[in-house]
Amino acid sequence: MGLRDIRGSRLGFLRALVIAGRRGRVTRRYPYEEPLLTSDFRGRIDIDETKCIGCGACVNACPPNALELLRSRDGYVSLRYFVGRCIFCWRCVDVCPTGAIRGTREFELATDDLSDLYDVLIHEPMKCRECGSLFSTKRMGEYVVSKSPVVENYVDLDPGCRRERLLKAIEGRFGGRSG
Amino acid sequence: MVEVGKPRFLGRSIWVFHLNTGSCNGCDIEVLDVLTPYHDAERFGVKLVVSPRHADAALLTGPITLESLPKVIRAIEAMPRPRIIVALGSCACGGNIWYKSYSVVGGVPELLKILEERGVVVDGVYYVPGCPVRPESIIYAIALIKGLASKKVRAKVKRVGG
Repeated sequence: MGLRDIRGSRLGFLRALVIAGRRGRVTRRYPYEEPLLTSDFRGRIDIDETKCIGCGACVNACPPNALELLRSRDGYVSLRYFVGRCIFCWRCVDVCPTGAIRGTREFELATDDLSDLYDVLIHEPMKCRECGSLFSTKRMGEYVVSKSPVVENYVDLDPGCRRERLLKAIEGRFGGRSG
Repeated sequence: MVEVGKPRFLGRSIWVFHLNTGSCNGCDIEVLDVLTPYHDAERFGVKLVVSPRHADAALLTGPITLESLPKVIRAIEAMPRPRIIVALGSCACGGNIWYKSYSVVGGVPELLKILEERGVVVDGVYYVPGCPVRPESIIYAIALIKGLASKKVRAKVKRVGG
């Protein structure tokens, strides 16, 4: 009994009904039931604000630049995640040095307002103890000190002041600046 | 959770005009998936139509290449008011990896600016991120447009303490 027999006879549709009845309902009732999510499905990411140090490793890894590191005029560094551009590759999850980025299985991201798709994490900057300029983030400083305690002497100096200090140290060692 | 009211102008069935604007076909395949008996978008009255003149919604996939831009504008102009745009996939939502490329407009947000300049009115825009979008993601978007589901995604601004 193939498809041809069903088409051929006049009461063929009854047979088709029998086949359909045996197969049962195949349509998913999705918005009213659980979605079919496998364990390796990749959804949007979630950034943990207690762990993020604002180093920007995820920004470098992000292929579509959905993650961006922005510096405001008053020196605050913010990590902006735009879900609308994300391709859900989870490379940021792999590269995050502190494990602050967690992948979720969220996929119900439809919205009528584009601003719903932005996630912003605002970091506080470090202040240079000599010139007072703002640089890097406080969390970054804490992280670097925890990794190698030696840097504690100069972690709160901005790169310019640090360079000057180095030059002065060399000067002292070789007997002052010549000329 | 934010309740989304059903737009009053979308009475019953949403007829959709699907337009590929430089998409990789990933999202288009998922649109096809949604129309199979397995996911069956027609239980919500959603139907693909061949002419923009019959459509309530323009379903745009892809980052809108410069080559397709005049066609997109013409199609949207041809749709009767009220009309909505559904941006399907990461490309249409924000340009994806092509968002600053030389040959693309960079998604529906940029397209809306061009439409505004030309005086083409759009009554609603819906964004459905995903690369490609899951069929269930599209079904959820349909439910959202019809007011059967509530909006789950919200903008988050977090401050890192000290």
